[in-house]
Amino acid sequence: MNIPNSSTAPAAGEYAGDEVSAIVLDPGYWTTRAGFAGEDVPKSVCPSFYGQRDTESDTQHYFGENAIHNPLGDLDIKNYWGSDGIVEDWDTATKLWEYAITNRLTGTKATDPTRNGLNDGTNTNGDAMEVDIDALDNQEKPLEESPLLVTEPGWNSAKAREKYIEIAMEDWGTPAFFLQKTGVLAAFASGKASGIIIDVGASHTSVTPVLDGMVLRKGVQKSPLAGNFVSNQIRHIFKQSAPEIPLTPHYLVKSKTQVDAGAAAQATYKTFTTPPTDSFRLNEEERVLTEFKESVVEVWPGPGRFSNGTNEEIAKNTPGRPFEMPDGWNQVFGAERFRAAEGLFDASAALTSESSPRPKDDQTIPKLVQAAVLSVDADQRPLLLGNIVVTGGSTLLYKFNERLNYEINNIYPSTRNKLIAPGSVVERKYAAWIGGSILASLGSFHQLWISKKEYEEHGASIVEKRCR
Amino acid sequence: MATGRDVRDMLGLPMGGEAPKAAVQKRPKPAGGTRKIQGVAREVAALYGERPPPVAVYEESKSYRAKRQNTGPAKKWEQQPFRNPVRSDGLILRHWKRKHTTAPAVQPSEDATMQDGENTEPYIDTCSDYAKYDIKVDLPTFTDDEYDAYLRSDDWSREETDYLIQMVGDYAYRWAIVWDRYDFQPSLAHETLENTNGDTDQALATMPFAPSKKRSVEDLKARFYDISAKLMKQRIPEVQMDAEQYSTYEMLTKFDPVMERNRKMLASALMNRSMDEVKEEEFLLTELQRINMAANRLDAEREELRARLDAPQHNPAVSAGLQAFTSSQALQALFQQLFQQDRSKKRASGGGTGPGRLSLSANDMVHTPGSAQAQLSAANRRQSMASQAVAQTPVKHLSPRQEERFNVSTHDRLTSGVTFGSDKLLKMRQAKSNVQTQKIGAALAELGIPDVIPIPTSKVGGTFEMLVTKLGKLLDVRKVREKEEGEVRVLQNMKDGTKEEKMDTETKEEPEDENDDNPNYGEDDADAAGEDEDDDDAEGEEEDGDEDQDTNGDGDGDGDVVPDDLDAEGEDESSVQPSRATSQGATTAGHKRSASVFSQGSEERSKRIRK
Ligand SMILES: Nc1ncnc2c1ncn2[C@@H]1O[C@H](COP(=O)(O)OP(=O)(O)O)[C@@H](O)[C@H]1O
Ligand SMILES: [Mg+2]
Repeated sequence: MNIPNSSTAPAAGEYAGDEVSAIVLDPGYWTTRAGFAGEDVPKSVCPSFYGQRDTESDTQHYFGENAIHNPLGDLDIKNYWGSDGIVEDWDTATKLWEYAITNRLTGTKATDPTRNGLNDGTNTNGDAMEVDIDALDNQEKPLEESPLLVTEPGWNSAKAREKYIEIAMEDWGTPAFFLQKTGVLAAFASGKASGIIIDVGASHTSVTPVLDGMVLRKGVQKSPLAGNFVSNQIRHIFKQSAPEIPLTPHYLVKSKTQVDAGAAAQATYKTFTTPPTDSFRLNEEERVLTEFKESVVEVWPGPGRFSNGTNEEIAKNTPGRPFEMPDGWNQVFGAERFRAAEGLFDASAALTSESSPRPKDDQTIPKLVQAAVLSVDADQRPLLLGNIVVTGGSTLLYKFNERLNYEINNIYPSTRNKLIAPGSVVERKYAAWIGGSILASLGSFHQLWISKKEYEEHGASIVEKRCR
Repeated sequence: MATGRDVRDMLGLPMGGEAPKAAVQKRPKPAGGTRKIQGVAREVAALYGERPPPVAVYEESKSYRAKRQNTGPAKKWEQQPFRNPVRSDGLILRHWKRKHTTAPAVQPSEDATMQDGENTEPYIDTCSDYAKYDIKVDLPTFTDDEYDAYLRSDDWSREETDYLIQMVGDYAYRWAIVWDRYDFQPSLAHETLENTNGDTDQALATMPFAPSKKRSVEDLKARFYDISAKLMKQRIPEVQMDAEQYSTYEMLTKFDPVMERNRKMLASALMNRSMDEVKEEEFLLTELQRINMAANRLDAEREELRARLDAPQHNPAVSAGLQAFTSSQALQALFQQLFQQDRSKKRASGGGTGPGRLSLSANDMVHTPGSAQAQLSAANRRQSMASQAVAQTPVKHLSPRQEERFNVSTHDRLTSGVTFGSDKLLKMRQAKSNVQTQKIGAALAELGIPDVIPIPTSKVGGTFEMLVTKLGKLLDVRKVREKEEGEVRVLQNMKDGTKEEKMDTETKEEPEDENDDNPNYGEDDADAAGEDEDDDDAEGEEEDGDEDQDTNGDGDGDGDVVPDDLDAEGEDESSVQPSRATSQGATTAGHKRSASVFSQGSEERSKRIRK
């Protein structure tokens, strides 16, 4: 008798696992996740924000958690994603992804610093680079030995998809490549081949109907009501409260003293010779807001909307939650903590200002789900509603799932709707990566890779045909 | 779980196995090392106390682990490059495999092809484990001529048809996805679709199509199925199709897009019902369920009640439903049963014997042992075990003679497990009350029947049961007699003078009875008969009414006549009534013996039975 443990090989046919040291890359707006297929969690999680410093001769990029939170003067914090949820800044994206992969996984190869893509800003001409790299020994490319699986948003454009494979093949020299949608992979991570995947990330909320491991493209819905929207709502709450709640990020505070709830902060602040840029401050504020989301913000769990009158009264009678800013200011947040995320479900409850107008009704999550279900064949609807996979960092908001459950049952009272939300934080945040990790470590997946040879034969358009 | 000890105990073997067993349990202990136990396991072990654990599971796992440690040095693994045979591009990937050793003879199980791994040039494996997952779908194919001849459609261009078929192939007949991705652009399609061929232009030229029609799943399916059906018919004429092919063909031709569309509309309407409608339906459904449950319960209760009221309904044939009455034998039995019921009812009303005496029919059931038995089982399970001796209705294959010869017995219902004949005999000796048991014991002793009957076969058991039944009745009669005697004595004392003539007449009758009855006593009962005679003598002054009560059986008579004899009554009801039923024809003598001694009325009855 053989009791399986970590050092015994699984029995043949037990599962179709057959790892080929593939790397899975899951770029998101908030973080970019990378790791070896077959592992449970991405080894490398690096912020998708990067620092950029322009000197007269050169543009320098700073990647990684440590670099972007370092208050250097004139460090601009940027993100390579466009507002439409498609990668915009391809050059930096390539570099950041390469950083995410090489930093923790493969290790950097000793390459010519001008060519490894990390430091160059001079050689932006694609053609010249291609020639350059072809001339070099293949060993110098970072991914020469690892097949690469990259995730993409469900609404990715055909052009963007081709760009992915070009980067992987030309710049990184990967022997095999595949592109898969985050929705499908998140479903796989929960062991589902069909379902509706609700992904509430940082920049976008997406609802993706998936059938037998394939996205139903007509049903894919996205809206900007996600983590960043909630952050924005919190800013509104801070601003509209009287007196205004000051939002001071960590890097400004040298030391703090304890003050009473609601009292003005008494802290000593740091001084900078060259003050950090606005974008740097915004990003640092975002960190505080994320803390606030984690510990204070609560979603009204239903029944009914928060703003229907009676619910607000009920909420007032619940005990509040305290929060302390980095500078020591603190307060207990009562019913207002419900308002930050209410806009995700009820557009009319969103806090508005000139710069952030009222969101459209059909951008709310219930409406997205409704639209997604409606664009699916009637026969498949009950199946999909029975497998609603919830993923993305913002779904970790307290009571988010209760509310989502209420809303969906409210729209579809006659079907058996089931939410599948992994309990652990890691699985919720990195579901797409985990699904990719599963997929890329399957023996049956070997035949699906797009090999370098195929890419050379058919060109970049092969992704359209193979990664459906 | 039965251990060897239990088995030994059951078989009455000496507990000699004890010593080796203890040794077995002790041996692995030092090997596993009591000192080695750590952590929680140690505490668990402490709970066992001094004694060794009852099950040696722990030791087993211990020894397993010890073995595992000795499997030799760690096996080496290496990244083995391999090729997947389904891939046409010869992509080489690397996966982790056990490194094969240099000595080929040591491990004959190792794949022979792997031996050349030590060569300088890297060996590339072919891994076809997952080739089975490379599945291609079957698609209808047709030539241009075929298309022109059969497949033309006003609504579909050749180009779009090709596109459709390609899509169906690409998405492996997943229609929801085909429809989702379906995006046909007639004019632009030239460049993007490789498989469009020359006649596209011609088809386009001949027929002007509306650009990019919006097609529903049903449209796509209808077109595709139509093509498939037509081609199928072309390849295999309808008459030559086998059943399976024809059913496929039928399915293809019978596809009705309009109906499908309506169905889907209904389905989505069902899904889009409002909360109120759903609630209402839910309410109705629960209501229905509630009603159903109540109805079921009511049925069950009624059934139970019926079963209780109508003891003969216990007949398994009845409970098995109508199917049980398909054979003529069963029908016969049913008829007799109904007949008996009818009769007993008539008797109950006409004979003035009072209500609730259905069991009166026991005497009449001489010829329907089946129903009698059912009655018996309903009334007294305990005694039913002793009922083998009763002649069974030959339901199955054997005639009674054969049954007897082969010692086969059929049973309506078997209790599980094994019972011993001697147990049954022992049980029969016991009545519900101690007094009664003692009385029976004394009576048996009087008859000279030993406490242990040597070979308790079922026949012996039957006979013994008959005897005990008779004894029971005898005891009843004795009891009644004693009561009556007492009464008579009282009355006598009261009206000493006036009653003398009556006593004379009664005593005259007595010898008559004896003459009549004596030949009927069984040969084995010769002693008992003598004894009965003694009793009978003493009972000379019985009245007619008493006789009636007793023949009606049941010991009910006792209750009426002897109201203070309460404990005896219960026992009488349970033991005497069924035992009469079991004894049936064979016990006629018994009836007579007990009855006849009282008066002429009983004589008449026994005569009727004999007829
Ligand atoms: N515990 C939490 N509670 C609420 N929001 C959270 C929590 N953890 C992370 N978030 C938010 O989730 C978002 C990131 O989610 P993620 O799925 O990682 O995004 P992306 O896929 O776009 O990278 C951020 O807006 C962050 O503020
Ligand atoms: Mg995401």
